[in-house]
Amino acid sequence: MTPARKLFSWLAPFLACVGLLAIWQVAALMLDTDSFPTALDALRAVPSILTDKESLINILDSLRRMAIGFGIGVAVSIPLGLMMGRSRAVASFFNPLLMITYPVPKAALMPIIMLWLGVSDIAKTLVIFLGVSLPVIFHSFQGAKAVEEKMLWSGAAMGLSAAQRMIRIVLPSALPEILTGCRTGLVLALITMITSEMIARQSGAGNILFNAMDMGQYDTVFAMIIIVGAMGIGFDAAFEAFRRRLVRWSEPRFDMPLSFS
Amino acid sequence: MKAVPLRQEIPAEAGRAASGAQAAAMIEIESVSQIFQTSGRQNHLALSGISLSIADGAFVSILGPSGCGKSTLLYIVGGFVSPTEGVAKVKGRAITGPGPDRGPVFQEFALFPWKNVLGNVMYGPRQQGVKHAEAEAQSRRLIEMVGLKGFENFYPKELSGGMKQRVALARTLAYHPAVLLMDEPFGALDAHTRTRLQNDLLNIWERDRKTVLFVTHSVEEAVFLSDKVVVMTRAPGRIKEIVDIDLPRPRRRAELLLDPHYQKYVVDIERMIDDTGEDGLQL
Repeated sequence: MTPARKLFSWLAPFLACVGLLAIWQVAALMLDTDSFPTALDALRAVPSILTDKESLINILDSLRRMAIGFGIGVAVSIPLGLMMGRSRAVASFFNPLLMITYPVPKAALMPIIMLWLGVSDIAKTLVIFLGVSLPVIFHSFQGAKAVEEKMLWSGAAMGLSAAQRMIRIVLPSALPEILTGCRTGLVLALITMITSEMIARQSGAGNILFNAMDMGQYDTVFAMIIIVGAMGIGFDAAFEAFRRRLVRWSEPRFDMPLSFS
Repeated sequence: MKAVPLRQEIPAEAGRAASGAQAAAMIEIESVSQIFQTSGRQNHLALSGISLSIADGAFVSILGPSGCGKSTLLYIVGGFVSPTEGVAKVKGRAITGPGPDRGPVFQEFALFPWKNVLGNVMYGPRQQGVKHAEAEAQSRRLIEMVGLKGFENFYPKELSGGMKQRVALARTLAYHPAVLLMDEPFGALDAHTRTRLQNDLLNIWERDRKTVLFVTHSVEEAVFLSDKVVVMTRAPGRIKEIVDIDLPRPRRRAELLLDPHYQKYVVDIERMIDDTGEDGLQL
């Protein structure tokens, strides 16, 4: 890539953001209603939220729940997905369960969960956990199913036991697929985090957003949307960098294969 | 036209045939049959009543049309597939599963893509409990032997097909299996690469004369490499003929191609395969 092109590909996402904000600004100026503040007004409200101690505590509460929900979700879903991918019995047991839960919006379970667990942290974390689990299970399952049989045979010939093959062959060779699932899971964790707080309003980023909505502080509403969006982009970019480091082996070092027999 | 057994036609030039017959059997296959359930709930007889004895240190090829179950036979010896009937033995003991005494090399290479070349070759010895430094030194020597010195830190994705198969061979040799099980190892390679790898395999084999079971559908390859060629019939796979290849070793390709004995083996075996099925297009 030429330096100019490299610079452009670096700048492109920023240009897209600036473009979006510009369209927003023009549209808001044209519509001129209270419920649609201009982009500049919304951006101006961001620092005041981020410097307010109470708001920060709320956002950190949200992030803590998200981290726990995501962590437990991944820790449970990867082994389950891998086992489903390698054992027909495990797959046929869990597949119907997952097919039933798949189309249900996880936030729709919130009222039931609240009934049982109250509006506690546990209820909200549980919803995040459910949101994370499905894509991670699905991708781990696909990844494990796609593992080349001959690779497992090679491992068995070297003396690897079934459990060792699972951890030392199935897991690494499914890793690119697993991490794709985790990436989707991370974004879903953020989404379920906000929706759970919409329903069980007690604390958190979603709570700030909807309180502001109730009080007609629309610039705060839009500022919170910007903050949540920025967190999503940030998490996703950070995870993508982490993923690339882990599965560098699956991406070629050279554009063209070496010709050497 | 029936092919006449070659043993009587060609006088043994080297004394190896006799010594091979006296060596202890490394692999014994006793009336092995294999039935697969196809998706249509029908039974497919892949192998029928195979009995075969392979001497220690022999290079034996299994040759036959596609779908004759030759790879299945190799998987049975590897312990990856258990036979429906009969028993396969290695060093006199019945095979119940895979083990490091039988090292497979597959057409698909089956390298570990998350490990570099050195990591792949070291994997077996490390699993067998060899110390890291020792395993690394051994593996580096093997990588050099298969002609990949300088590529130790490359990942499988960065290698050509021929290079990958060299790594796969080194990875299997690294844990010192008594038997090499080669499942059409050069089948996915272009003709030039294939020739080079055949030559290199023979050179490596000449050094320690491991027992090799080599599945191929190339008659030239089987005759060039082997002491014995087992010719199989189309499904259900049966042994049609076992041909002793009495050609002197070390074999050099250029000399062999001009050798009328070599040519006669190739022509006769091709004729046997033609006889086993009426139409070559049938799979």
